[in-house]
Amino acid sequence: MTVALPSSAWRVTAASRLAVLRVPPAVALSFAVIALVIAWSIVPGLFTSFDPVNGVPADKLLGPSAAHWFGTDHLGRDLYTRVVYGTASSVESALIAVSIGVAAGGLIGLLAGFLGGWVDVVLARLVDVLLAIPSFLLAVIIVTALGFDTINVAIATGLSAVAVFARVMRAEVIKIRQATFVEASFLLGGSRWHILSRHVLPNASRSVLTLAVLRFGLSILVIASLAFLGYGDPPPASDWGLLISIGKNYLKWPWLVYAPAFVTIATVLSINRISRWLRQTA
Amino acid sequence: MRNAYRAYAAKRLVQAVVVILLAYVLTFVVVSILPGDPITSVLRDPQNGFTEAEIQEIVAAQGLDKPIPVQLWTSLCHFLTGDLGLSMRSSRPVATLIAEVLPSTLVLASAGLAVALLLAAALGYGSQFLPKRFGQGFLRGFPALFLSVPNFVIGLVLIHLFGFQFGFFRVLDPDSVRATFFAAIALGIPVSAQIAEVLIANLDHESRQEYAAVARGRGLGPTRLFVRHLLKPSSLPVVTVIALTIGELLGGSLITETVFGRTGIGSLVQRSATSHDLPVLQAVVSLAAVVFVLVNLIADLVYPLLDPRVKLIGDHRPRPAGADESAADTSGAVTP
Repeated sequence: MTVALPSSAWRVTAASRLAVLRVPPAVALSFAVIALVIAWSIVPGLFTSFDPVNGVPADKLLGPSAAHWFGTDHLGRDLYTRVVYGTASSVESALIAVSIGVAAGGLIGLLAGFLGGWVDVVLARLVDVLLAIPSFLLAVIIVTALGFDTINVAIATGLSAVAVFARVMRAEVIKIRQATFVEASFLLGGSRWHILSRHVLPNASRSVLTLAVLRFGLSILVIASLAFLGYGDPPPASDWGLLISIGKNYLKWPWLVYAPAFVTIATVLSINRISRWLRQTA
Repeated sequence: MRNAYRAYAAKRLVQAVVVILLAYVLTFVVVSILPGDPITSVLRDPQNGFTEAEIQEIVAAQGLDKPIPVQLWTSLCHFLTGDLGLSMRSSRPVATLIAEVLPSTLVLASAGLAVALLLAAALGYGSQFLPKRFGQGFLRGFPALFLSVPNFVIGLVLIHLFGFQFGFFRVLDPDSVRATFFAAIALGIPVSAQIAEVLIANLDHESRQEYAAVARGRGLGPTRLFVRHLLKPSSLPVVTVIALTIGELLGGSLITETVFGRTGIGSLVQRSATSHDLPVLQAVVSLAAVVFVLVNLIADLVYPLLDPRVKLIGDHRPRPAGADESAADTSGAVTP
């Protein structure tokens, strides 16, 4: 019996490790898409030899071809190049937005859930109020007050997501705080800080991180929408939303809309698929 | 039960009023505390051509020279009496500006909601009764796809295909019935995804119940089983989700109206945002919060009456059985 215990325990961990490694093909494809997008945002120059800002006027509004994968725009610029160079700011803004949401929302949720009492009442009410304001309108009013550029779009998107993170974090912290092992740790003389850093935070962070991945995809959509409405950096910046917004004036040449839209959708779809996979395996 | 319901209703009503007031205060604070000064950015804008005396007059009339808590108090009192202030750009009452464009947005939003409900019901039916190997899994992927497509892209695709290629509607006449129909589809598709996710989860739950097996054993066909037995218990929890998508409809109409060139609340917000007309923005955002809170209040009050299984325990709001954490995360606005 005593011999069987460690070996069966070992088998369980080995099996769960294998389950983690067994990635469904759709998820593997999603990871490949995200890897490509990250590579685009870090070293765009490796993926294209055209200039994203200066075009060749003679080559304007060409259809997709071997030379120009996504065709060219009204100024003769290669659209694929514009998309690749626009990746950095589209993806970075979403990263900033999610970081703000995780940091601010996580802190609010942690304080409310861990301290309880009147702090919880006040913060939970604040979250209720934030949730009552449609998040896209909230983002619009914040970016208007801050001024129109891409970094402010990212901040506004992040602030409009704070409430969602706070709500999930608070629920997790309350759930963990009532667990038996936290009680045991407290009875063994664990300080509040010890319980918070060793037990509550590590356990709560998993569901917050899963939510963060999901909100990363959503943030790309919100930021694209705000850029589409013209609240981001003006041209010659080439955020995906801005490219689609420029393309809508040239609907006779539909690839100007469809190509950047396809890249946006593929990215968000991949992120959402990964997020769903994380939720199932976690 | 009756007394418990009354206590619950009173509690929710008070809560709703408090949330509305705080939402107004919050938007006011956001607008006044954030860096960026509306006086210098709008009034001193040389394009507007105000003289210094005129600027002083406008500042005094709007009370912008007073400390922020005083401004907040006067503005809140005005808001409670239905006075939304003056537009900084056109000096017309904000309430008039909103009233002019409200009907168009109401038409679009209700048509969008209708599209979302029909589409969600169709996806729900297909998720249960299409052959397992043929189409069902494909159909179940639709909500995830819809949630990954920016709704301005849906609008542009519809305009390109049905406006330009097939000529089903005239793009230059955005308020026509046909153009409104396509705008409603663009608005409704992302919203339908959230409803469909919860509906499908509930249908899966209900079709495993014994009464469904009994009904199948009695020889009921799929459509009858769906309409007579499964749809009602599965769609009751969806009431709460529909109420939560109101915010989505309002935010989405901002983009849809811009894409289709319609006038409405969305285009008013867009115009006010680009001209930094903060009083208009604040009014629209506060009214959106009022609508959102009221619709959710109604949903919460009606829900226990529709579904006798719901028990009112403490101050917990009725929770849809199928709305697990995963569905709640994607809708992003379900309060615990």
